[in-house]
Amino acid sequence: MNIHPFFKTTVLLISMLMIFIAEDASARQAKSVILVYLDGGPSQTDTFDPKPDAGRDIYGNFKEVSVTNVPGIIIGSKLPLLAQMADKYSLIRSMTHGVNGHETGHYAMITGDLSGGDVVYPSYGAVVSYFKKDSYKGILPPYISITAANNRFNEGGFLGNRFKSFDTGGAPEKTTFEVEGIVNPFISAEKFNQRLQLLNAFENINPYFKTSAYKHAIDSMRQHNISFIFGEAGASFDLSKESKEVRERYGMHRTGQACLTARRLVEAGVPFINVRSTGWDTHKKGFQRLSDMLPELDQALSALIADLDERGLLESTIILCGGEFGRTPRVQWEAPWNGGRAHFGKAFSYLVAGGGFIPGKVIGKTDKTGEEIVERKVYPADLIGTVYLLMGIDPNGTLPHITAGSLPVLPSLGKEGQSNGLLYELIKP
Amino acid sequence: MKKIICMLLIVLSVNTLSANEIDKIFRNTSHQHFLPCGDEVFLRRTFLVLTGRLPKSDKAVQFLQSVHPEKRTLLIDSLLDSDEYVRYMVMRWGDILRIKSEFPSNLWPNGVQAYNRWLYEQISTNVPYDTFVRNLLLSQGSNFRSPAVNFYRAFIKKTPENIYQNIQLLFLGERTTPFEGAACFDQISYKPTKEWKEEIIYLDYSKKPRKKTVKLSNNKSIQLQPGEDWRKQYTEWLTDKQNRRFAAVMANRLWYWVFGKGIVDEPDDWGVHNPPSNKALLEYLTDQFIASGYDTKALLKLILNSGIYQSSHAPAGFYIAQRLPAEVLIDALADLTGIADEYRSRVPEPFTFYPKGTRAIDVGDATVSSSALELFGRVSRDVSLESQRNNTLSARQLLYLMNARELEERIRKSNVLTELCKQEKDIPGVCRAITLMTLSRFPTDEEMLLYRQYAQKNKVSLRQLASDILWMQINSIEFLYNH
Repeated sequence: MNIHPFFKTTVLLISMLMIFIAEDASARQAKSVILVYLDGGPSQTDTFDPKPDAGRDIYGNFKEVSVTNVPGIIIGSKLPLLAQMADKYSLIRSMTHGVNGHETGHYAMITGDLSGGDVVYPSYGAVVSYFKKDSYKGILPPYISITAANNRFNEGGFLGNRFKSFDTGGAPEKTTFEVEGIVNPFISAEKFNQRLQLLNAFENINPYFKTSAYKHAIDSMRQHNISFIFGEAGASFDLSKESKEVRERYGMHRTGQACLTARRLVEAGVPFINVRSTGWDTHKKGFQRLSDMLPELDQALSALIADLDERGLLESTIILCGGEFGRTPRVQWEAPWNGGRAHFGKAFSYLVAGGGFIPGKVIGKTDKTGEEIVERKVYPADLIGTVYLLMGIDPNGTLPHITAGSLPVLPSLGKEGQSNGLLYELIKP
Repeated sequence: MKKIICMLLIVLSVNTLSANEIDKIFRNTSHQHFLPCGDEVFLRRTFLVLTGRLPKSDKAVQFLQSVHPEKRTLLIDSLLDSDEYVRYMVMRWGDILRIKSEFPSNLWPNGVQAYNRWLYEQISTNVPYDTFVRNLLLSQGSNFRSPAVNFYRAFIKKTPENIYQNIQLLFLGERTTPFEGAACFDQISYKPTKEWKEEIIYLDYSKKPRKKTVKLSNNKSIQLQPGEDWRKQYTEWLTDKQNRRFAAVMANRLWYWVFGKGIVDEPDDWGVHNPPSNKALLEYLTDQFIASGYDTKALLKLILNSGIYQSSHAPAGFYIAQRLPAEVLIDALADLTGIADEYRSRVPEPFTFYPKGTRAIDVGDATVSSSALELFGRVSRDVSLESQRNNTLSARQLLYLMNARELEERIRKSNVLTELCKQEKDIPGVCRAITLMTLSRFPTDEEMLLYRQYAQKNKVSLRQLASDILWMQINSIEFLYNH
């Protein structure tokens, strides 16, 4: 068969181009996700979608705003540090799923599943750790929660326990961050070794298992754990290895030191880190509580973004910040709320940064009071699907399921009323 | 030589003691010889299988030292009549009935409590299995007052198809099922009351049947008449003696609960694609179950009195060593240290705390959990499959046992250990007491020597020795596995 030389050259060129694109894509691919999860549902009106002109029933006690370093973007007055670096992140002001219950809102926001089917989906942390199970070679678990995952539904979903998060437990803001199973101040290395020797001697004379197949497998797991405890794994959680300046930059509080730990875990290659901050369910005396909580978040999150950026890690690390839903733009002044906001799944905000997201932009828009979305609805599946895309996971791919064979990674993606398209407008070309 | 004869005698006596019909079937179908297990193994295994608990030390000593020729049968009987047996069964049923306050069952705490209490009553009175299933499926009324109706509430989408699929899975082991029979559940309707989270499940008799004649899975058909409870026709067909699959699935499930592996395995995946590993045995158990009037305890007695059950763990015997289930392990750690986890429900607010000392087995709500329970694969109750309980030991679980600060703190502070040291006063006494409570047996001479040498070499106090030995034993394979 005769092939026209021009055709040959074209094919060659195209395939070269494809290889180039593929390489380029993998080089640019995000390696880790840090989800700063504001459990309970943070108020978007007081953070990323302020409404200073909507009257006191909307803006409540926070009439002032922070003007950011990006012209045209304002955020809440309690986030002055984040305001100085709005060119490093983007805001989605049109997140929606319409769910107002904590557990169901959480399920929607953490799985992207709005299909209402009879299947429990895995959280995106579990999905990421499923897809990275072969390529991720680190000694640390692929999905880590500081200090614990929400656990309000089974986060492993139909993928099973294996892909659930590793909960650190402990308190990173304390002198010693006692990570469950890794950092144990009660036991010296000497005592640990004594006990191990005793255990080995016992297993060797055990009447039931001394020659069993179990013994070999369990021995090797123990060995793995020993290198885990005394090796780099422990070091990743050892915040005393950071300078005082760095620690204080993040803030000497739970959220700050958790974010600092997250950065150390990113350096160790962990694909998904969940920094779970609690207490955002501000029904009562909301402004008072936010006045305490927001400065900590502001400090921690701004330090995290800046620190990753300075270390050249921001391009390969996705940062997300938001909760299971937002809160009603209209303030409940009456008792027993006394200036609180209720659950609001209709319109809320998320912050995204790094990992291939375009910074300095605002996507979506709510109306004057913030009660309706007027521009570009973003559903959980759209955000999570975009994260998958940036992580090199096909948002239209499938996951194995015990009875169904396989199921779509994101059952709601592309479905009317459950999805409005991936966030291509926020992905760097 | 003397030793060999002795061993032979023991083997023979144990075999004649406990050989029953099950063993005859095994002998006819395979020529494998299974080594019988010792009393201490039988004791621990039977406590774990029937109650999900370790035997208390005094009970263990009593059993081990008893010379009663039928002490094994007597132990089986007494455990089957214990409150702990009922509680453990409630947990197992709660797993497959997906009892849970929040997503995806959304039964809410009041419904969960009522449902668990109902299960407790059904199991403690040993209601025949076919009656139990009828009570469950023919229920109607308020989820608080007729708790069995919670069965019809535990769905994300309460469609006749989802309900029917779940019933076919639970009671017939069908993973995929044609939807025709779903028509029998078309009348089920739901309405709220003024009481918070109360729901009335009632039948809408104005509905016309989708089809007059509904074909069910063994090619039998039932007729649906307007104005009747269509579930009745279905349930009668389901629980009929002619429907051998119904009895076989439960007999096999009980076998699975005892051995960790079904004769049909997985126990909820029936069909030509997955034949039983021992057809004769399955037929026999099914016959016995039906003949006993669907008596769960009678079938368990039959199984537990067999030589197969009372053999060592594989490869020498038939029993397969299994890691302790999450709740069992966490409860055992609480008993051994004397310090239990606290459980709380986050719904409704404000949080509800379970009474101090509540056992993980008794929590009864998959929404209520702890990091440790999650770590060891506590069932999330999302689906009605037995496979959702994963008892494979992982490195991460070992890490917790080896080095969790929380666990070490409990070992250190343990009053159980402190008291035991006061009582026993010396190394052999302490070692014996810990081995009894942890491993349900006396320490061997070799082990005693090991402990003495350890204490001497490392110059540890008696209390410290107690901590070290407990740590060591709960990390041992023998403890972690029911073998």
